[in-house]
Amino acid sequence: MSKNLLDIKDLKVNIDDIDILKGINLKINEGETHIIMGPNGSGKSTLAYTLMGHPNYSIEDGEIEFEGENINDLKADERAKKGIFLSFQYPEEIPGVTVEDFLRTAKSSVSGKKMGIITFKKVLKEKMKELDMDDEYASRYLNLGFSGGEKKKNEILLMSVLEPKLAILDETDSGLDVDAIRIVAEGVNKFKDENRSILVITHYDKLLSYLKPDYIHILLDGKIVKTGGIELAKEIDQKGYENIKMEFSN
Amino acid sequence: MTKWKRIKLNEFKFPKVTDYNKEYLSYGQLPQGVELNKINKTNNNLIIENLNNNITGVGDEFTSHVMANYNTGISLYIPKSTNIEDPIKLEFNMDDENPTTIDQNIIIASANSESTIIFDYTSKDENNFHNGVTKVYAKKNSVVNIIKIQRMDDKSYNFDSNIAYIEGRAVVNWISVEIGSDISGSNFTSILEDEASEGNLASIYLGNGTRKMDLEYTMIHKGRRSISNIETRGVLMDQATKVFRGNLDFKKGAKLSKGVEEEFVVLLDPTVKSHSIPALLCEEDDVQGEHAASAGQINDNQLFYLMSRGLDIREAKQLIIQASFRPILDKIPMDDLRDLILEEIDRRLLNG
Repeated sequence: MSKNLLDIKDLKVNIDDIDILKGINLKINEGETHIIMGPNGSGKSTLAYTLMGHPNYSIEDGEIEFEGENINDLKADERAKKGIFLSFQYPEEIPGVTVEDFLRTAKSSVSGKKMGIITFKKVLKEKMKELDMDDEYASRYLNLGFSGGEKKKNEILLMSVLEPKLAILDETDSGLDVDAIRIVAEGVNKFKDENRSILVITHYDKLLSYLKPDYIHILLDGKIVKTGGIELAKEIDQKGYENIKMEFSN
Repeated sequence: MTKWKRIKLNEFKFPKVTDYNKEYLSYGQLPQGVELNKINKTNNNLIIENLNNNITGVGDEFTSHVMANYNTGISLYIPKSTNIEDPIKLEFNMDDENPTTIDQNIIIASANSESTIIFDYTSKDENNFHNGVTKVYAKKNSVVNIIKIQRMDDKSYNFDSNIAYIEGRAVVNWISVEIGSDISGSNFTSILEDEASEGNLASIYLGNGTRKMDLEYTMIHKGRRSISNIETRGVLMDQATKVFRGNLDFKKGAKLSKGVEEEFVVLLDPTVKSHSIPALLCEEDDVQGEHAASAGQINDNQLFYLMSRGLDIREAKQLIIQASFRPILDKIPMDDLRDLILEEIDRRLLNG
């Protein structure tokens, strides 16, 4: 049996005193791909931010364990160093910092090792090619003037350079056209191996046909109400969330 | 002293001026004919020639104080078509024994000459005080680069008035780095006197703690097709206050001239005060004046984004600030000096 990587126990989170997550339980083992689906406002992005350690999301109760260690109180950078990565739904623009400089800085922060400029350039060029990104992106300012699709691709580029153990993809498929989704999915599939795990947060199944998820979880009103296989996503694609909502409204 | 109202310096009292006795001047190979002299009151023709030429600078009280009390400085005469390759460097390091630097500097750059002069002001002890006047006469086709670095201690006061008289096709490049002092006021004025005179000012500033600064950059266009460019990048944090005044003044006769000024400031805390006052004065129609200013905040989401990539909070802020300063710092031709400035910026960010 593969080793456990992430273990979320009865996680409760509120923002500005409003309860958003109301007791999440989720175990992710090494090498697994999990999908969390849910309608708008169900708490999907809150879960993503909380796992990465956003200071505005306070944990009221419960535990997040990563590789057996409680990480509730770790800051975002400490979590990144442990191997957690979040692909942002809305990546921030940072003028004056080039993609290449940023990636190199991030890589050496996360790995604790300095990488030579020339070696890094080579690695970066390869990874960019895989994602069908033009070389000139490397010298552009981070996310500045990027289209929605370019920003998402850049997130996946970050992921493949940083090589985390757990990659959380928050609505990475939104705002992407069909070709871009395919390229991003290929990037994710290339990244995945028997040790690395992926948690995809989405409200569509667009990415799912490319990824081979092990589990699908339905998040409703701050709780995971149903877990199953790919058939669950198909059901939602056809019938929407209404049936499940009805089922759990009592 | 209405000029100083904004940073509330209404009851300023000048300290007692004592001698500045430390060595401060260093230079490499000086070509033949170059006259470089330390200034003292009794023996300096260039200074005496220019004494009656007082300037307003940061304020008449301050420049008059320099005229009456100067205790150090240089006079530099560069003959025609002479290129001084190694920068001339003045380092004033104030302390308890030498608490006041009142420098008077006169630079006369003859036609077709080229030179770089660096001024570095530091201080170690409380109540150190700098008040200076630097005058540059850039004759036809000359290039003069003046780099002024003010990284004095938080209890010090700094006042600096600079003026350049720029003849036809001559270029004066000012670089100003303002990262120290409790209160700092600086003025850089370029008078573009003739056809295609050019004045450039690139500056960075960092305000932390309760420090206050008043920065005034003035470009006076008199000559036809004269060119000016002001490029300023700043960072403010804690309770720091800054007033930026950028003046583009197109006089009658400055046809086809162009002046550009831009200031970008990053505000790290909501408690800072940042005033930007760009002014555009035109006596001539056929001129082009542009100004751009922006103040940006590093918000929590930006920091979180950078931190989620493994940078700690200090590294994340540093990255954003260094990115903002880079284009200006890259103009400083010496690596060691750039590193010193970056170090001082880091130190101040760390304490903040």
